[in-house]
Parts: sequence; C-alpha cells; structure tokens
Amino acid sequence: MNPKEEKVKIITEEFDENDEDAGVGSQKKTSKMARQKRKKPLPAAGPEEMVSENPHLGNQPEPLQEDSDTRPLSMTTRRGPRSLPPIPSASRTGFAEFSMRERMREKLQAARSKAESTLLQEIPTPRPRRLQSPGEKELETEFGAEPGEEAQKTQQEDDSQSRSRVKFRDSVRKIKTKPPVPPGFPSAEEAYNFFTFNFDPEPEESEEKPKAKNRDGTTQEEEEGEEEEPPVQGIHKTDEQLLISATEAEAFLWGLDHAAADFVAVRPADYESAHVRLQMEKELLFVPSRLTVPTYKKLPENVQPRYLEDEGLYIGTRPDVPRTCQNIMENRLLTQEPGRRWFGDDGRIVALPNPIKPFPSRPPVLTQEQDFRAELETLYKKAVKYVHRSQHMIGSGDSPGNFQLDIDISGLIFTHHPCFSREHVLAAKLAQLYDQYLARHQRNKAKFLTDKLQALRNAVQTGLNPEKTHKSLDTTQKTINEYKSEIRQTRKLRDAEQEKDRMLLKTIIKVWKEMKSLREFQRFTNTPLKLVLRKEKVDQKADEEAYEAEIQAEISELLEEHMEEHEQKMEAYRAAYQQWKAWKKAQRAKKKKKKQAVEEHPEEEMGEPYPEEDPVKPVPPEPTDRALMEHQVRERAARSRRRPGEPLLVPELSLAGSVTPNEQCPRVEVLRREDVKRRSIYLKVIFNDKEVSRTDSRPLGADFRVHFGQIFNLQIFNWPESLTLQVYETVGHSGTTLLAEVFLPIPETTIVTGRAPIEEVEFSSNQHVTLDHEGVGSGMPFSFEADGSNQLILMTSGKVSNSVAWAIGENGIPLIPPLSQQNIGFRSTTPSSSVHVVANGRIPPFLCALKRADAISSIGTSGLTDLKKLAKWAAESKLDPNDPNNAPLMQLISVATSGESYVPDFFRLEQLQQEFNFVSDEELNRSKRFRLLCLRSQEVPEFRNYKQIPAYDREIMEKVFQDYEKWLRDRNVIETKDHIDPHRAMVAKYLQQVRESVINRFLIAKHHFLLSDLIVEEEVPNISSEGSGILGLSLFKLAEQKRPLRPRRKGRKKVTAQNLSDGDIKVLVNIIRAYDIPVRKPTASKFQQPSRSSRTFSEKHAASPTTHSPTHSADYPLGQVLVRPFVEVSFQRTICHTTTAEGPNPSWNEELELPFRAPNGDYSTSSLQSVKDDVFINIFDEVLYDVLEDDRERGSGIHTRIERHWLGCVKIPFSTIYFQAKIDGTFKIDIPPVLLGYSKERSMIIERGFDSVRSLSEGSYITLFITMEPQLVPGESVREKMSDVLKKFDSQEDEKLLQATEKFQAECALKFPHRQCLTTVTDISGKTVFITRYLKPLNPPQELLEGCPNNPQATAELVARYVSLIPFLPDAVSFAGICDLWSTSDQFLDLLAGDEEEHAVLLCNYFLSLGKKAWLVMGSAIPEGPTAYVLTREQSHYLIWNPCSGHFYGQFDTFCPLKSVGCLIGPDNIWFNIQRHDSPLRINFDVTKPKLWKSFFSRSLLYPGLSSVQPEELIYQRTDKAAAAELQDRIEKILKEKIMDWRPRHLTRWNRYCTSALRHFLPLLERSRGEDVEDDHRGELLKQLGDYRFSGFPLHMPYSELKPLIEAVYSTGVHNIDVPNVEFALAVYIHPYPKNVLSVWIYVASLIRNR
Amino acid sequence: MAAAGPSVFLLMVNGQVESAQFPEYDDLYCKYCFVYGQDWAPTAGLEEGISQITSKSQDVRQALVWNFPIDVTFKSTNPYGWPQIVLSVYGPDVFGNDVVRGYGAVHLPFSPGRHKRTIPMFVPESTSKLQKFTSWFMGRRPEYTDPKVVAQGEGREGENAEAERLKAAQLMLPFSSQ
Repeated sequence: MNPKEEKVKIITEEFDENDEDAGVGSQKKTSKMARQKRKKPLPAAGPEEMVSENPHLGNQPEPLQEDSDTRPLSMTTRRGPRSLPPIPSASRTGFAEFSMRERMREKLQAARSKAESTLLQEIPTPRPRRLQSPGEKELETEFGAEPGEEAQKTQQEDDSQSRSRVKFRDSVRKIKTKPPVPPGFPSAEEAYNFFTFNFDPEPEESEEKPKAKNRDGTTQEEEEGEEEEPPVQGIHKTDEQLLISATEAEAFLWGLDHAAADFVAVRPADYESAHVRLQMEKELLFVPSRLTVPTYKKLPENVQPRYLEDEGLYIGTRPDVPRTCQNIMENRLLTQEPGRRWFGDDGRIVALPNPIKPFPSRPPVLTQEQDFRAELETLYKKAVKYVHRSQHMIGSGDSPGNFQLDIDISGLIFTHHPCFSREHVLAAKLAQLYDQYLARHQRNKAKFLTDKLQALRNAVQTGLNPEKTHKSLDTTQKTINEYKSEIRQTRKLRDAEQEKDRMLLKTIIKVWKEMKSLREFQRFTNTPLKLVLRKEKVDQKADEEAYEAEIQAEISELLEEHMEEHEQKMEAYRAAYQQWKAWKKAQRAKKKKKKQAVEEHPEEEMGEPYPEEDPVKPVPPEPTDRALMEHQVRERAARSRRRPGEPLLVPELSLAGSVTPNEQCPRVEVLRREDVKRRSIYLKVIFNDKEVSRTDSRPLGADFRVHFGQIFNLQIFNWPESLTLQVYETVGHSGTTLLAEVFLPIPETTIVTGRAPIEEVEFSSNQHVTLDHEGVGSGMPFSFEADGSNQLILMTSGKVSNSVAWAIGENGIPLIPPLSQQNIGFRSTTPSSSVHVVANGRIPPFLCALKRADAISSIGTSGLTDLKKLAKWAAESKLDPNDPNNAPLMQLISVATSGESYVPDFFRLEQLQQEFNFVSDEELNRSKRFRLLCLRSQEVPEFRNYKQIPAYDREIMEKVFQDYEKWLRDRNVIETKDHIDPHRAMVAKYLQQVRESVINRFLIAKHHFLLSDLIVEEEVPNISSEGSGILGLSLFKLAEQKRPLRPRRKGRKKVTAQNLSDGDIKVLVNIIRAYDIPVRKPTASKFQQPSRSSRTFSEKHAASPTTHSPTHSADYPLGQVLVRPFVEVSFQRTICHTTTAEGPNPSWNEELELPFRAPNGDYSTSSLQSVKDDVFINIFDEVLYDVLEDDRERGSGIHTRIERHWLGCVKIPFSTIYFQAKIDGTFKIDIPPVLLGYSKERSMIIERGFDSVRSLSEGSYITLFITMEPQLVPGESVREKMSDVLKKFDSQEDEKLLQATEKFQAECALKFPHRQCLTTVTDISGKTVFITRYLKPLNPPQELLEGCPNNPQATAELVARYVSLIPFLPDAVSFAGICDLWSTSDQFLDLLAGDEEEHAVLLCNYFLSLGKKAWLVMGSAIPEGPTAYVLTREQSHYLIWNPCSGHFYGQFDTFCPLKSVGCLIGPDNIWFNIQRHDSPLRINFDVTKPKLWKSFFSRSLLYPGLSSVQPEELIYQRTDKAAAAELQDRIEKILKEKIMDWRPRHLTRWNRYCTSALRHFLPLLERSRGEDVEDDHRGELLKQLGDYRFSGFPLHMPYSELKPLIEAVYSTGVHNIDVPNVEFALAVYIHPYPKNVLSVWIYVASLIRNR
Repeated sequence: MAAAGPSVFLLMVNGQVESAQFPEYDDLYCKYCFVYGQDWAPTAGLEEGISQITSKSQDVRQALVWNFPIDVTFKSTNPYGWPQIVLSVYGPDVFGNDVVRGYGAVHLPFSPGRHKRTIPMFVPESTSKLQKFTSWFMGRRPEYTDPKVVAQGEGREGENAEAERLKAAQLMLPFSSQ
C-alpha cells in the first residue's frame, strides 16, 4: 500500500469534491454515480482487502492518530481521507473556529463519501479503530470475514445513509456559513484541511511553508477546542468512552430518525474451525520442511558431489548455522529457485563468498603480434616519495597516534630492610617458606606423580594381560618397556618431591620454633605472625596398608629391574663366553705357529669376560638382594614419607598474633619502631632512561609493606627500550637515597590492560646500613645466637608488585606500536627477511600475516624471533597450509626449516650492502666506465678533467688506461732513458714523489673554500690600515664624481680561476723597445774588433767610465741598415711576432696576445700554479737576400728571400707571470756568447751622451710589459690555508723564539706591509726553522778554488757560476704554490734542483767560507718577484749577486734586476729595512745603523747562538767524465733527430766538417765562460769554411733534463730556414763540474754555400 | 675522445623565465646561465643570457614579468652533473648602483613535459652589521664571485646567506632523448 499514491488520488478527487460543494443539489446524483463507480472495482479488491483487513485490528499506522480526531466529526465513521493538500491558513478567533468547524463537517462529509469510493477501488489502507464502536464491529466482521455480496450491500446502504445525512447537514450548514470569511480567517476549506490533512513527512516542495504555518495553527486550535467542546477534547485524549458517547451524542444531536440496527443484519459470529483454517492456510502458505534435503536434489543430475577439501583446496570455515535452519533454507530454495545456483559442488548451500573473481583481472591477450608489443610497452610512472621513518619513532603506519603503556604499581614489600628486627628477619623467612609451601601445596606435584605412577602401573598390568594382546607382540613389549622406564623415572621424581615437601615442612616448623624462642627471649613481639599446625587425623590401618602396599610394589618393581639387568648381563656374558671359547680354540690352534697373534689382541682379552670368574657372579643376587632392597626402600620411605598413622601436618600462617605495644618494649625496640615510622618510600618510573613519573611518597608501615596503588598511563612515542622503577627511601627530613632499581620487562603486545596479571618483581640493594637500635641493618653481619656465632648477612631486598600492560584505546584497539618496531629481533635470525623489513620501511606482508594470525598470542611476540619455535607452533596448532591467510607464514616456516637459511654466527655491520649490490664487485671492477668515473672522482691527474666519459663500456678505449697503468707500474722503477744520468733520474723520481704526496695533501685543501673565494665583499673599513681602508676616506670617495675627468688607475678585477675554460685567458706581451741589439757585421770585415780580453773584472763593475774608448767601426757605410730586429714571442708553441724595426735600438711598442691553455683544461688554482711553460721572447734579425739568379729579370721583378737570424732571447716562466700578475721592466737579453756575423755596436756617435750610463753594463736589453687578461687570483688563499696547516707541524725552535719571530714580523708588517720579511722558513720535512740557521760557511768545491788561486774575485765569479749551473726549479712549480720549502745546501746539491732561495743560500755560504762578508737579501726583483739575492761587501762597495744566473751587479747598477730590498739575513741576525726607500740604489746597506735597519736580535733579545742546520762540510764527488761524454753524445743525437723532425718537408743535411769544428770550439767557450772568444772563433771558422754563409750560435744551459734543451733549441728557430741547399751543424759539449753539476753547450748553426 | 661516439643523449630545453616576485624592488633584470657536470656539453642554443629590465605590474600581483626565453640543448653521456639553471637578478638600489637582488638555481626537469618551477632567491649577507651598513651605503653589496657558485655545494658552509623572496621562474621544458 502506497500512501503517497493514495494521496495523489485523493487530491484529484478533492477537486471533484469542490465541484460537489458548489452544486449541493446534485449531491444525490453524484453520490449515486460514486456508488456505481464503486461497484465495479470491488470484487477485484476483495482478496487484497482480506489480507489487509487482518492486520488492521492491532496494527494501526501512525496517521490514524489524526484520523481519530476527525472521526467524531463524521457521522458515518467509515474512514476519513488522510491527506489533503494544505492551504495556507491561520485561524485565531473563536468565530473563525466555529464557522470553520461547520465547514469542515461539510467537507468531511463530502470527502468521506468520495474517499470511500476511492479507497474501495484502491488498495485498502489500515482502518480506524472501529472496534470501539460496537455497532460498527458487526459491520466490520461481516466485511472482514466475508467479502461477499452481503457485506457490499450493507456498505452501500450505510453509504447511502451517510450520504443523505451529509446532504441534510450540508444544507443546514450552508445557510449558516454563508457570510464571507473575514480576511485573515481560514476559509472553510483551509480549516477543513487543517483538521483533516495528514501532515505527511514528505510534502510537496511548493507547500512546505504553508504547512509549517498550519502546524502552528493546529496546536492552537486544539487548545481552543478543548475549552469549547468537551467531546472534542475527549477525542483528543483518545478516550474510548468519550469517543463513543460523542458519536452517539452527535448522532442524537443531528436528530437522525433511524437507528443503526435497522440497517444492519444481525447474525451469529462466523466460526471457522481450526482445521478448516489450517486447510486454507495450507493452500496459501508454504512451509519448508525441516528435513535434510537429499544431495541428489541439490545437484545437477548424474553428478557426484565433489569435495574440494579432499582435493587439497582450501575451504574457509563456514559460518555456524544450525542444521535445521540450513535445511529449511535449502528446501525453500529448492522450491523457490529451481536454478540450483545456491548450491555448491559439494551439494551444500553456498555459505562463503566465492573467491573466484567473476571477471578476469588480467587484460585480455590479443592475438595480433603488434598488440603484444603494445602490451609489453613500459609505462612511465612517477617515483613515489619514500617517507623515511626512524626506527625508534613510531611512524604513521597502520595505527598512528600515541601509544600508551599502563604501569600499575600496587605496592612494595620488603623482604629485608635495615630496620628489620631479628624477629622480622625470622618472620620474613617464615613468610617466604610458607609462600613456598603454599605454592608447592597448590601444585601438589607429589600427588600428581603418585597418581601417574599408579596409572603407569595399571597400564603395565593391562599390557601384560595376555588376553588383551590384540596388537603385535613386540609393540606391546615395547610399550611395556617404555612404561617401565617411565615408572622408574616417575618414582624417582616422586621420591624427590616428597622429600622436598617434608623438608620444607620441617624447616617451617624449625623457623617457627626459633621465632617463638626469640619472642620469649626478648619478651616482646614485633610481628603479628603466628603459625598454627593443624593435624589431620588419618585412618591408621588404611594408611599402613597403603604404605605397605606401596613399599611392596616398589620392591617388586625394583626386583624386576634387577632381574632384567641380570638377564641382560647374562646374555652379554654368554655371547662373550662363546666368542671367547671360539677364540681360545683358534688361539690354541695357532699357538704353535704364531705367538705374536696373542700379543696382537691383548686388548680384546682384557675386554672379554673370563669364563672362570663370570658365570658365578650374576647368579646369586636374589636372596640377599631382596632383603637389602627392602631395607633400602623402607629407609627411603621413612625419610621422605609420612610414617603410617602419623597425623598429616598442615601449617597455617596467620597474622592473628598481637604486637607488643610500645610501652612494654625496651628502648632499643622503641627506637627502631620510631625509625621505621620516619621512613617513607616512593618509586620513580624511568622510561627509556628518562624519568616520566613518580609515585607519592608513602610511609613505611610497621610490617614493611608500602601500598601505592597507582596507575601511570605513559603516553609513549618511542618504542620502549627499558622500563625501570627506582625505589627511593626518605628518612625523616633528610635526603632521599636510591635503594634499588627494579627492571620491569616490557610487556608483549598481547598483554593489554585488564589482562595483565600483577607480578612481583624482586629487587635488592647493595647498600650497607648500620643502625644503633634493634634494627639489624643491611649488609652487616648479625647473629641470632647469644654468642654471636652463626652470623648472617642480609641485604636490603624486597618485591615490587606491579603490572605493565598496553592500554586499550577508546574504540577497543590496543594502543600498541606496530610490529615493525620490533624487527630488531628478526635481523639476527633471517638475513633475507630482516632486510626486507628494513628495506622498504614497512611491514612486509608476511609480518602482517603474523600479526593477524594467532601465532603471537600463542607463542608471544618474542617467539617470533625463533623460527623453529614458530614452526613448532604451526605444526602443533595444525594450521591449514592451504589457507591463503597462512601462506606467508607457511612460506616463512618452510624457508626457516628447510635448512637453507641458517643463523649466521657472525655479526655483519653493513648487512644491507649485499642486498644493494646490483652487480658483484668483480663485475664492477671490470667495468671500464666505473673505473674511469672512480679515477676521475679521485682526481687522478690523468683523468681529473676527463670530459664526457662514454656511456658504454665498449666505447672506452683500452688505451685510456694505458698511460695511467704504466705510470702506476713505473712509479718505483727508475727510468733512465729520459735522464741518461742515473743520479738525475733518481733525483727526478724523488722530486716527483715528494711532489705527488704534497699535491695529494693539497688536493684535499683545495676543496676547502674560504668565504672570500665565493663571495666578493668590500673589506671592513679599517682605520689603522693604509690607503683606501680608512672609513673617512672611503666616505670621502662617495663625494667623488662617478666619472672623473682624470681617472685614476684602478686595480683590475681579479678572477678566480675556477670557472674558466680554454680561450678565456690570454697572455698579453707588450714589447716596447730594446737597447743595444747586436748589429750585423759585413762578412768581409776581418778582426777589426779589438780584443776585449784585456778587459778586467774591475772595469766591469766600476762606476767610472770605461777606460777603453769605443772603437768606431768604419766598415759600415753610413745609412746602411745595421740590423732589422723583430721580436717573436712563443708560448705553448703559439708564436706571435712584431713588425720589423730598424737599428740597434728599436722601438716596437706593440702588444701581442697569446692564448693560454691550462694543462688538461683544468683552470683551478693548483693546476695553474704548476704550469711549467715559459714565455720565450726571441729577438731576430730579418735579413733579406736577393735570390735573383738571372740579372736580366732584375728590371721586371724582385726576388728576395727573407732569413731570420736569432739574436737572443728572454725567457720568463709562466708561473712568474701568474704570481706577479704583471711584469714590467727592462730585461737583459740572453745573447749567446758568440753570434757569428754580428757584433755589438758599442759606440754610436749619436748616442754619445748616454754612453757613460750604458757602458756600465754590457749586453742588450729589452723593455717589456707582460700581463694576463683577465687577471687571475694567484693561489694566495691557498698559501694562507696551507700555512695554517704548516704551523701545525711541530717546530724544534724554542717557543720564545717563535713568539719573538711572530712579534717581529707583525711589527715589520705594520710599518712596511709590502716589504718582505722572513724569519722562519719550512724545511723539507715540513718543520719550521729559524732562517739564520741556514747560513753557515761551507766549502766550495776544491776544483773551483784551485782554478785561480790568486784572484779572489775570479774565484768568486767561478763559484757563482757553479751555483748558477745548478738547475733552477721553482718551489712554486714543484709544490704547486703550497709553500716555500727550504732545503739545506747538501740537500740542494743532492737534489740538484732548487729555487732562488737555495741558490742564494748556497752562494752565500760559499762566500762566507771564502771570507767575504755576505748576506742574504730578501726582496723582489724582476722578473722573479719575491726572491733572494746575495749581497757581498767588497772593500768599498757592495755587490749584488743573482744566484740563479751567476751575474753580479754593483749597488748602483741601473739594470740590476733587484728592485727592492726587504731584509738582510746574516748567519747570526736578521735586519729589516726600515729606510724610506727600498730600492738598492737608494738605500744604505750599513746594517750597523739601527735607524736604518731593524735587527731581530738586539740587546733586548740576545742572539742565543743557534746551531746551523747545514752540514759541517760539503763533500763533492768528481763527476764521471765518461758518463758525461756519453750523455753528450746522446743529447747531440736526440737534438739532431728533433731538428729533422721539425723540418718534415725538407731535407736536413748535416755538415760534418762544420760540426767537428764547432765541437772543438765549445770547450774553449766553457773555459772562458763564454767571453771574448768570438773573434778568434770566427776567424777560425772562416778559415775552415771558406765560402759558406754561416749563421749560428752556442747555447749555454745548466743541465737538468732534456726537455728544456730541446725547447731552447726550438725557440731559436734555426730549423725554420727553408733555403734549399741549407746545411746544418750541431755540436754539444758537456763540461762536468763536481757533484754532477753539468754545464751544457749546444752549438747550432746553419750554413749556406755562397756562390 | 670517445665523446665523438654515438652514445650520447640529448637534453633539449626550452622555456622562459616568466616572472618574479620581489615585493621590495623594482626595475630588475635577470641573468641566467647553466652549470653542468664534466660529461655534459652544450650543443646548441645560448648558454647564458641577460634579460631586459622589467617594471612591476600595476596590479595587486606586483609581478615582475620578463618572459625571457631560454633555449638550449645539451648532450651528455652521464646523468651525473645534470644541468642546473642559475638565475641571478639585479636591479638598482637607492643610489642607482646595480646590485644583486637574488641568486637561485634549480635542476632542469628530469622528465619531459611542461614544468613550472618556483625558485627561492637569496643574496649573501654581509659578515657584520658595520659592513652591512657600508655596503648599503656604498652600493657594493656582497656578491658571489660567480653566480655559478650557487649551484655548487663546495665551500658554502661558512656562508651566511639571507634567504630572500620567492622568485617564480617558469620553465617549460619539452625534453627529448635519443
């Protein structure tokens, strides 16, 4: 029945009603029509009516409540319409109410009739409670029981009756209610609706608001109605009596002239017999049978039921449903749904969800091949961020939030306490024993064992019974034997138990006795403890019998045992005897032949029983044994068992005793009691070593029990690692003492609050307490005896009763951290699984499974760590191995038990390493790419800047590693090929190694950046610093114009080298001018140049003008070009040259740009510092030759050939440029001593005015300016950093001295920050050494001294030359700018390499030994920059020596390269230059003047007499001449090859004749040290070579290795001549000096035949 | 070297420096450059660029919009050293000096497609208050020796950088590899 539908119907009919209202006159007609309408559908509605009629009796739906309200208004009381469309209305006044009521009645009438008809057509609705009116009841029964004609008839009658009534009433009403309804009052319809409308819970949307208003009205209306009309009120109350009377009254009121009875047929109530009813029900209802349905019915035909369990498939457990219910269901389903889809293969009703998915989860595989490919295509998926979780943190796993640990501390009991009196001690003991007794009693093991014994005996009896042997004999025998051994075991156990019980009882009694005696002795009692021994009477006779029977049984069993033993022995004996006999026989047989046989088996003989003794031994035990055994048994029984008839003693401990009150106690006892009272105890709860809470402080009771009863809820976040309770005791107001710590076990995850038992955890303390009262103290010996014997020492101890459990959350979930927290335990057992746990940070599925399974609750969480145990549990609990839920667990167990996994007996630190290795180590090592990457990251020099390492191994060439591997191999092999001379090779190797180690150390330092490396920041304005630093000045600067008209030079911005690449750096060389270039000499001229051999040493350095007048060479025709020089700069084999100028004093003023390439493209500071390349500035003369061969053509063309002739060079190392940033100055051109075809034009008349200046020094000069663009920051910061490191090296210097040096340096730096001041240096082992220790007179080689014994100056020059022949190797290059390492002179000579300092030190030492006054000059020079020179004092003047070149200069020599002097260092002091100027030209070298020179050691700090670091004496070995000669040949050969290599497109011819001439000439040059031999030589050459045009020159160098020699030859460009008929000559001469110092001369020449 | 071999992969990036949020500054311009590892080499496009000067928009967003295009192609043999784009923003200060307003770096996207990146920008801070004042006064703010430093980890420990505002740089980066 659909109320809504009905409502709609009614609404539609309501409109009809309205029509009816309009035309009252036609009422009858319409009612008739309605009746007719009703007639038709009625029969159809019949059965439905019947069904719905039944429930209506008790089952009134809610809307009827309102229906009952309306009912009294309608006379017919059939039923009211239940819902009508509401119309907004609000009735207030009585009038409105009155008229409304009337109208409502009309409405009701009309509606009634209408509704009646509809209702009859429609599905019947629950009826109003018609039972209440007796008159209607009949009707109803009629209608309800028989939907027949009669009922219909009555109804019709009834209806018609009501209709007529309505009609009448309406007509009456109409007149009354004619006046229009005043505004604001409800119209009739509204009012009607108001009462009759059933407020549906779901009204139409449009009517929502009005409805709400209506509701208001309803209540008001009801209230008003109560006042006016009691019947209505009654109806409201649903009072039945009133209701009935109201209807009657109303009926009466309206003056109806008929009685209800007139129209109702009175009949006896219909009776339906139960039988009939059942019959009817049977027709209609279906009751499924409760009987089991046969299987065949449930299955398709001819199908056998199939049981999946039998097939080994897993079937879940079916829900528990009673069998009958199942049967009913099955029966019903069989009838209702014959499809059988509710039945499984086994014929049972389907009770579990089908595990098989209805559709395949795998995508359908398509047959086409290309589709296959599409399926296999990989998809890109974004990586999911892995959330890292710390192990100890409880993460947001499956149960986020806090976890809670409930700690219940209920109390504390002291089993011993310092304040215990003796009685207490005994009482505690007694209590303990009693507890033990109770525990034992409860377990009653003895009883259990006795019973077991009995049972076993019975079993043996039955087993022995022959009638019952239905099993095979041996199995029975076997079981009996087993039983027997069991009996033996059990008996032993039982005896032990019984003995223990008895002992315990005895001890209890003993202690109690002691206590009693103590109480008596001290005449007071402290403890309420009281022991009562209860005797239980036993039946003596029965007891005795049982006792005897027991003993007998035991004896018989024992006998049996013995018998068995005996039997066995006999058996063994017999066998042995037989064997022995056989052996004996054999022996006897063999005896005569082999006596050794006996000796071979002595052991056997010993082992075998001898026949003479053995047979007697086992036979006689029985009679003697029996008595003995009985005795034994009885004795044992007496000891361990209660004697028969003895009463059973049951001790009972009670606290019933009374404690002696204080007044009656002795003083000591009173003191003790008071002490106890003063004490209080509290506990601290320590969780993971942190105190989390503490209990209240509770006083210690007289019984030494403390009750806390507190529960602490620990909200934890970390996995609990330790849980500790600390017991603190407070005595009075003094401090607290920690008595003991109690460690509580962390509960297993299964223990939750409520389930946790209270546990007692014992503790004890080791404190020693002595008390001055009755208390026995703790840790102190005391005795119960009067004589003090039998001492006892008791320590404070006790028990804390507590319980620890996990709390349960609000929703019943235990607040336990997830299991993954505990995976520590797994790690040790199964590497694979533990890795799994850790690797993904989540609980792996199998652990989840574990969690769900009951395994944990059955074996405990800790059991999970033991897989064996787990497996055992799984086996015991008979887990279904086919259950998918158990699958992971079973797998785990199978892995654990298969033996494949083992528990490693080692501990692995990086246990995950192996898991993460995606390839094996060998494979990784084999990978070339990986190796390359590794080497690059290690910054191995060869690979440091390797770009674009190939992506695949196959693309890496094997040769990439070849060099590196070779280097690795040859590291320690001394390679002599390059060096020829083994000593030098060794030295080179050594240097290389030192360098490597230093560089490695340095590479680490390189990665430490300073702030200034990264951030450019203005310096802090510093008032004390000079120049721009002053704040005021810099502020002043602000006022400056941004672009001043006369700009001042600003420093260039420096660039750190780290971000540069090839081509970014350029070397700029600005060649300005040159002086005194040698000029060509006409080939015809002969020996015009006067010999200069007459020139003496004094001439050279004298300040006075030269004595000899310049010779004017008259050979040159005026105006002829003397020389056409140009400059060629070569750097890293890049060559640039200037234009050609003319004359010996050319001015070029040209800027040349040379690109710079760093080695390996590494532009880091360290790499740049180690660049060893030099910038060669070569000066050439451009010579034009007319090559025209035919004079006839002279008119039409000019054919000239340009030749260039090398005149000299200046060599500047790149490192100097790098460190100096710019090089600006005039340099002496290195001109070979012999330049064939050229002469120095020394006397130019035009320049006579400058002659005096120029003549001070001979030689040619060039003015240069060299810099780099952009300016690179030299590795200054690195130096600073390293010097910090170096300072850490220990120094052997006195601490005071070091402090003094620092102070001195600081003072100097403050005054002249740019002047070099050196006090300490680092020696080759890295230690800081005071600088003066390096200076000490050292003997020069004897050979040099013998050279010119009479001329000290010549000797000095010779020595200087010797020193300069030692190769120069800047530290900055070899040690990559790390620091200056100073080696001592002997080290220097051994290494044969060093920089300025070493040279200067050696030279200075030689000079000192020669008796000169010599100092080391620390200053700066060009081009070296900061350097060391040597200053010597001659008679009247000072000489400045350049130790590296061997040249010397007068103090006032303008061309002296030394430009500033920082300090002077003598063997015993340091003088710092505090003069205004630092140029050697302008300073005074008199160190005795303290105003000019600040000395380090002065009166305030006396020279302490420092010992020198130099050796006592230098020892020189003569150099092997043969080796030198060999080297000479090899160099010559190599150079010749090189020259040929450099001329790949031309034929290189060697002029042997010339070569030999040159070879002869070179030793002469060495002897004269390159001076004054030119003319002789030229003459000689001309003589020999007649018509050759010859250009060539000797080169002189110290020998270090081959490469510089080759470079030097290359830079001269001799090979560049491409005249077709050119010939070459090359000669090498090596002059050996002591100590392997070699002077190398190379003469290169080109010859062109003159025609 | 073996770089000439076929096995390189290409990373093609194009996008733009879209806009920035510098609430305090106006009239800024932006430079970009790339920092990449040893195995990388640019093959096409511009490795660095400097944008026009832009003014703040007049609306509430106050965005500095450049829409400055970036288009570069790298080749490499090794994902190690994946290129980072380094942006540095400059603008005039009160006295009209060009000072740096922010540095920032971000890796180029690893996956093809359109990506938008918002890069927080920062400038190094003066080491002391006095220096801060003078540097402000003189218009010589501390700045990196090279903007590329911001893409490196080495030596940044002692640095005291003032993390400043956010700068949005949208990079739309279609990516292809072979």
